[in-house]
Amino acid sequence: MGQPGLDPKEFLEHLKAEHQVLRWEPLPPDQFNPSSGGEQSRSGSSLDYLHKHWALPDSFNPADAGGGPKGRLVGLFGRLTYRVLGRYLHEERDLLGHVVRISEALERRCDALTLRVQEMNLDIVRRQVAEAENQALLAAWLHAESPRTTSGVASISSTIAQRNKAAADAEAAAAAKEDSDRSR
Amino acid sequence: MTMDRPSQRSSGTRAIPSGNVDGDGPVIAVLVDQWESKSEEGWATRQVAGALACSAHVHVITPQGTVPSERVDSVFTVHETATPSSPTAAIRRELLIEAISDTGGSATGRLLPEYGRLLDRDLLDCWSASSDILAGLRPDIVVIAGHQHLGALDAVDRVAPDVPIVLLALGSDLNSLAFPHFDRIFDRSQAVLAITETERLSIVEHHGGADRVHRIGAPLAANPSALNEPNTWVGTTDYVFVISSTKTHADEEAVALARLLRLRFPENPVGISATDAFSVWHQGRVGQGWPVERSSDLARLMAWARVVVDLRPGPLFGRRCVDSLLYGTPIIVPGNSRAREHAELGRGGLWFDTPGELVWCVEAMLDPDVRATFSAQGKAYAEDAFGSTDRFIERVLVATGKASSDGGEIGGGGICTGGATSLPITA
Repeated sequence: MGQPGLDPKEFLEHLKAEHQVLRWEPLPPDQFNPSSGGEQSRSGSSLDYLHKHWALPDSFNPADAGGGPKGRLVGLFGRLTYRVLGRYLHEERDLLGHVVRISEALERRCDALTLRVQEMNLDIVRRQVAEAENQALLAAWLHAESPRTTSGVASISSTIAQRNKAAADAEAAAAAKEDSDRSR
Repeated sequence: MTMDRPSQRSSGTRAIPSGNVDGDGPVIAVLVDQWESKSEEGWATRQVAGALACSAHVHVITPQGTVPSERVDSVFTVHETATPSSPTAAIRRELLIEAISDTGGSATGRLLPEYGRLLDRDLLDCWSASSDILAGLRPDIVVIAGHQHLGALDAVDRVAPDVPIVLLALGSDLNSLAFPHFDRIFDRSQAVLAITETERLSIVEHHGGADRVHRIGAPLAANPSALNEPNTWVGTTDYVFVISSTKTHADEEAVALARLLRLRFPENPVGISATDAFSVWHQGRVGQGWPVERSSDLARLMAWARVVVDLRPGPLFGRRCVDSLLYGTPIIVPGNSRAREHAELGRGGLWFDTPGELVWCVEAMLDPDVRATFSAQGKAYAEDAFGSTDRFIERVLVATGKASSDGGEIGGGGICTGGATSLPITA
């Protein structure tokens, strides 16, 4: 059901009065927290370790066998083991080398992406600031008179006003001359 | 002075019966610049002629056409003299009136003769041939449609200086109504017909004669089929319907205001109707667009909208706004438009002078209680002032009858009084 009756004129006056106080303001941009540099070196120590230890030994060290008959037996078994597994161990070392290199490349890529995300975040914030400014301009425009687009007519009006004035001046001058002639 | 009868001169499709009038009953000649129904002025002229046709033979005389002709159009006999005025002449007149009014030149009642000549240039001679037709018709009353047509007045006075003249003012432009250059057509008219109260008050203020200036309104009716089902383009009935009446991509104030509304009310569907298309905006995104091909599409959109914002209402009486009120949809219109009368006097909506006020008005109208109140008030007003064809005919005939008090037949008990249900008019 509607209200008992509304006078649009009174309603509009009430509406305007209610909006006299500006209840609007642009939304503030989100708080921008630039990330600390630590994000880029979180796995630095592990990567250092990988760099130092990826190259595993590719032959048996006789010093590890010790001396005596037991040592000779261990040395013999050690050399035999390396001879049998040598090819596998070389390939495994190459594999580890590649894993280390890929890990390093991934870390660099992650760092680059982190930087890019930060840049994009900054771009968004800048855009938000610009939007807020634009909204503020709109608010100002809303409180101003709507622009008229009658420049053409205004120009004609101005011309006619000038011509009217010139005609009136000429009329006045003629009347003055007539008066002066008559007085002579 | 002898003159050829129009039926003898022209190649019409129907011969006029001989004698002073077309058989029995009075003859009314309607002098109109353009005989059409697209503009509000043309439509209103046709409605008035239709009302008069209920009790008289109506002959329409117009400078239109490429060859002189006489033809039957519904219940009217249309005489085309094929002497149209230059389109630029009318534009020049409008510009001059606005420019001189802006300088305050018209307020003093004095107008430099050179401006008077410039106003009438190429706009008087086009009516000369109408004198011959009038002489042949010997009408009981002449209706001149448009207060600027001094050439039509001259055409009447050349052959029938004593015939009563009824002026259908068609005062879309208040500056023009107040312009002293047109005083003589108001002075000569026995009755002046105005469509709206604003127009009537302006005529009375500048030309006096309150008793001979009549507000006749217009005959309109809500199309019941529009209320049967909503237009599915929007998909819901809870939308703001904005009519911009301009090209979608035009760089105009109306387009900017429509854009403002869709930005300001993203939560509400906002349907925007331009001259070439209709589109719906919701949640900041535009939905599908549709070409507007039938007026019934707009009628259905109007009938089911929460509010109609008409940014460019018709200049004479804002016909779309009356339609909207008849459907029970409140309106929001520019404060400097003629449609403001329907919002203010009819209490059927709100009006705005600045974009800020437009936004507040829409915001207020989205309140269901406010909307319901304006809807009820506006509908009651529109039905009372515009909703009855019978009452419109009666108003026209009474006003015209007063002008022809000598004859006393027009409007004094003609065919339509107390019985007509519809005008014999094709809009």
